[in-house]
Amino acid sequence: MSMDALLRSEEMTLCQMFLQSEAAYACVSELGEIGLVQFRDLNPDVNAFQRKFVSEIRRCEEMERKLRFLEKEINKDGIPMLNTGDNPEAPAPREMIDLEATYEKLENEMKEVNSNSEALKRNFLELTELKHILRKTQTFFEETMQGYQDPSLSRSHYTEPTSKERNSTNLIVGFSLQTSQSDDQRSSTCISRFSDIVLFIRLKKNMNGDSVHKSVFIIFFQGEQLKSRIKKICEGYRATLYPCPETQAERREMAIGVMTRIEDLNTVLGQTQDHRHRVLVAAAKNIKVWSIKVRKIKAIYHTLNMFNLDVTQKCLIAECWCPVADLDRIQQALRSGTERSGSSVPSIINRMQTRMVPPTYNRCNKFTQGFQNIVDAYGVACYREVNPAPFTCITFPFLFAVMFGDMGHGAIMFLFALFLVLKEKQLQAKKIQNEIFSTFFGGRYIILLMGAFSIYTGLIYNDVFSKSLNLFGCQWVIPATDKAYDLAALEAADKIVVKPNGTFTGSSYPIGVDPIWSLASNKIAFTNSLKMKMSIILGIFQMFFGISLSYLNHRHFQKPLNIIFDFIPMVVFLFCMFGYLVILVFVKWLKYSSTSSQEPPSLLIVVVVVVVVVADYYYFCYCYYYCFLQQGFQSFLVVVAVLCVPWMMLGKPMYMRYMKRYGQVSVQNLLICLTHCFETKRCLWYSALLLNVLHEEFSEVLIHQVIHTIEFCLGCISHTASYLRLWALSLAHAQLSEVLWQMVLRIAFGFSRGWGAIALFIIFQVWAALTVMILVLMEGLSAFLHALRLHWVEFQSKFYDGSGHIFVPFSFNSIADASPDE
Amino acid sequence: MMPEISFNIDHGYLEGLLRGFKSGILKQADYLNLIQCETLDDLKLHLQSTDYGNFLANEPSPLTVSVIDDKLREKLVIEVEHMRNHALEPLSTFLDYVKYSYMIDNVILLITGTLHGRPIHELLPKCHPLGTFDQLAAINLANTSIMLYNAVLVDTPLAPYIKDCISAEDLDEMNVEIIRNTLYKSYLEDFYNFCKKQGGATADVMCEALAFDADRRAFIITINSFGTELSKDDRMKLYPRCGNLYPTGLKMLGECDDYEQVKAVADYYPQYKELFENSGSNPGEKTLEDKFFEHEVKLMKKAFMQQFQFGVFYAYIRLKEQENRNILWIGECVAQRHRAKIDSYIPIF
Repeated sequence: MSMDALLRSEEMTLCQMFLQSEAAYACVSELGEIGLVQFRDLNPDVNAFQRKFVSEIRRCEEMERKLRFLEKEINKDGIPMLNTGDNPEAPAPREMIDLEATYEKLENEMKEVNSNSEALKRNFLELTELKHILRKTQTFFEETMQGYQDPSLSRSHYTEPTSKERNSTNLIVGFSLQTSQSDDQRSSTCISRFSDIVLFIRLKKNMNGDSVHKSVFIIFFQGEQLKSRIKKICEGYRATLYPCPETQAERREMAIGVMTRIEDLNTVLGQTQDHRHRVLVAAAKNIKVWSIKVRKIKAIYHTLNMFNLDVTQKCLIAECWCPVADLDRIQQALRSGTERSGSSVPSIINRMQTRMVPPTYNRCNKFTQGFQNIVDAYGVACYREVNPAPFTCITFPFLFAVMFGDMGHGAIMFLFALFLVLKEKQLQAKKIQNEIFSTFFGGRYIILLMGAFSIYTGLIYNDVFSKSLNLFGCQWVIPATDKAYDLAALEAADKIVVKPNGTFTGSSYPIGVDPIWSLASNKIAFTNSLKMKMSIILGIFQMFFGISLSYLNHRHFQKPLNIIFDFIPMVVFLFCMFGYLVILVFVKWLKYSSTSSQEPPSLLIVVVVVVVVVADYYYFCYCYYYCFLQQGFQSFLVVVAVLCVPWMMLGKPMYMRYMKRYGQVSVQNLLICLTHCFETKRCLWYSALLLNVLHEEFSEVLIHQVIHTIEFCLGCISHTASYLRLWALSLAHAQLSEVLWQMVLRIAFGFSRGWGAIALFIIFQVWAALTVMILVLMEGLSAFLHALRLHWVEFQSKFYDGSGHIFVPFSFNSIADASPDE
Repeated sequence: MMPEISFNIDHGYLEGLLRGFKSGILKQADYLNLIQCETLDDLKLHLQSTDYGNFLANEPSPLTVSVIDDKLREKLVIEVEHMRNHALEPLSTFLDYVKYSYMIDNVILLITGTLHGRPIHELLPKCHPLGTFDQLAAINLANTSIMLYNAVLVDTPLAPYIKDCISAEDLDEMNVEIIRNTLYKSYLEDFYNFCKKQGGATADVMCEALAFDADRRAFIITINSFGTELSKDDRMKLYPRCGNLYPTGLKMLGECDDYEQVKAVADYYPQYKELFENSGSNPGEKTLEDKFFEHEVKLMKKAFMQQFQFGVFYAYIRLKEQENRNILWIGECVAQRHRAKIDSYIPIF
């Protein structure tokens, strides 16, 4: 049973709940806390605004709006919002009124304070402007008195009005908001059409934190009718006009009055600010808890809107999916919800029979979640289909590591992931929003395993940053007595061929590749041969494994036809084509030792001979066969493989056609079986599926099967070839890291002693940066994507349907985490 | 040579963006839901589930139609301004042309407002934000069209359009109407020529759209002029000369004396004949104005059939205007509990 729980998704059941109207809210709240049920919408045709609890939802939205307003104000003042991380329970419906009242009061208070301070600020601004005007006009008049002959002023035809003239000359002073110099000029030309003089003094003012350019201007004109016109223009250009006393004494007096008023205002402004701050600080303490509460209430009412009313209007009827194993917990939650609401009638939950396909629910922990996500990204498993995630936990990091085999790079990756895993709690609490970081953090266990496996494959490849380690002692020993290897010969030769016959000790290096290969000029040829064979073996094994998982599926869904006409020919075909190849690889590895290193035949040619009939029979017989009768056996395999194709393609449709025509009995049997299923009410949806099969058309089945067969047979070949990416990427990785060593770090070793240290210091950093950026990050990403592809396409296509829908329980956790604008 | 080839280099992003916006235009199903609303809050709740999203979320209830109007307009303005800010030549000029019509509307709105003695600061917020410009506030200086030209419009792109109707006469209601129509006439002709110069699909689509606009104006000017002191010669001068009616149709329209004669002119043009035939002011019939709107919607939808052209931008703004009118209509009907005519909105998709 426990094995099954790991392999397949949870067993689900559709339930019906009868909730008393007064208890429904509390029950749904309890269910939201445990997060184990997915409610079905029972009124899908009803508009959002015609549902039962729409007024409550509207009230919640109103509260959310108020909270958003408060939050904005708090942010404006830069007050930190306390996030204690506690998770308050959803308040009872009657508490909603209290909450509403609190928020209402706060909002009104805030608005009042805001409008007050707004008015005060405006007042303050006007007074400041007046102050500047008085000062500027003062200096202006003083200057003109003194500098009567000033050429710039004489050009503007200004003469200090004599007392007689003064009566007829009016002057307007004002402040205008200017965005640029050209604006200045435009408005001045506009005004000067009507008046004698316009004078602009530019000022830079700092208001409300933004600096604003404003100008003081003085306009002199004659005649009353011009006055209204100028006023209109000023209004048009959004300038403010101020009264300006005519004599100096009056101006001075006014200035003093303005100064005292400004000071008074300053104190009042300070007090309002203090009050505002106090209110906001008090609100900031609670605001997170409040918004969680409101969000929970809203979620509950949204859920209640999905329920049906019972005819008597006394209870609500809900339908939900839930895992069978958790029915007890759900019942417990309902009971405590009913108790909390004080209702005397208990809430009832009933299991229902249905033909609907249940949602897929895989229980995950924080370790398996990442791998489950990888699988789900391809497609959510059908209900109770074999879930590849548990196998992916190991095969994914392993295949990744085959492509990323380097102890050094693996260790970097492992340590990084280890840091994330150890600091898990702290990092989770920080709630970092950065997308790249959260991707890494979400996959920390995947990265951890990928790193660990990379260290292992690095050990096998004997590769640390492209160098080899001689951990257990090289097994190739050059005998001192051999003439071919004495000093003279070594000095004379450019290259030395170490013959395995004489130098190999006979016992192999305990684990992985012998370090001597790192010195060999045919290193690549050697590792290529090793890695290529290895990737074929791994690939074929994984595909076999995938096919055998399809057996579990067929057995679980009781489809014996599929086992006979799909599973068996698939296994046979794959074995005949490639399973045999794997056997040959092992034979080759085991049969030939260092003494017979010249003899082994090429596998490539053997495989070609398997499928191609070759004329020169004896020649190949002599050279390329391992044993007697091999030729005959190979021909047999080819014939069997070819026979598998019609078996797979025609077997099932033909059988079904035959049964439909002549096998009345067995169809009846099937029907009996079906009715039995209905009666015992077991796996109803499955019998519905069987019914479908019964009614399927011959042509449809045939076409489906033909496509399936072609896909599989071609797929076998292309997928096997596809597994060669394991070798290709591993080669690329090894070469790249070797290039990096040779081209970058090795330069530092070429310097003379003193400089060498400095050069090494600098060059090492370049090398390290490139190693992390290119070899770990970039190559890691590429290997990750290839491993992903191998799992999704090559592995899962053998058994995985992935057309289910996921179980989305109603849970407060997901609501609390969601961002507020959602 | 072939502007389609290089179109995406400059305008591809905006066209893609726009087609995204376009898919957010309310569908028939949305309207069916909207007309079932009981209150404006229901309307808000339903709009939340569409592309409008939370655009009313920060408005305290109870809502009013004018708040919805402001928000709808704000949303359109944000979209258009975003596109204008990212536009390159010649699309930027094209979008400016689209904005000129709003500027004309604003100028006329303010002049009529001040004629009726309303203070300017009360009128300014009513202006469409797409058509505001700095000098707009100085408009109450203008007593005559010369003043209007000198004080307000001289530095704006509208300046060339007003040249035809400068006079020293005092502004009265009649004058304002003449100014409005002259401005529009020159504007439409200018825009028409600009689009024609662009060539290619833009010219195809836009010339059709602007020709329809011009013809609609000609019809409406004629119908509205009955019973006023506008002389036939003056009326003739107001017709935009870039539509399908030009030149023969306009000449015939210029001699019309009543509605029946206008209808007779429309009979020569199959596309307009249909509009006039099915319209009426009796209950159950659609007004001529609505018929024109319907035809416009049809044309604008057609504009989306072609790629690599500017017509879609114009079409989107028009359709969005129509959608806003629809929502406001439904909103008014809901707010005033006047459900009998609630379904006389004009569905778009």
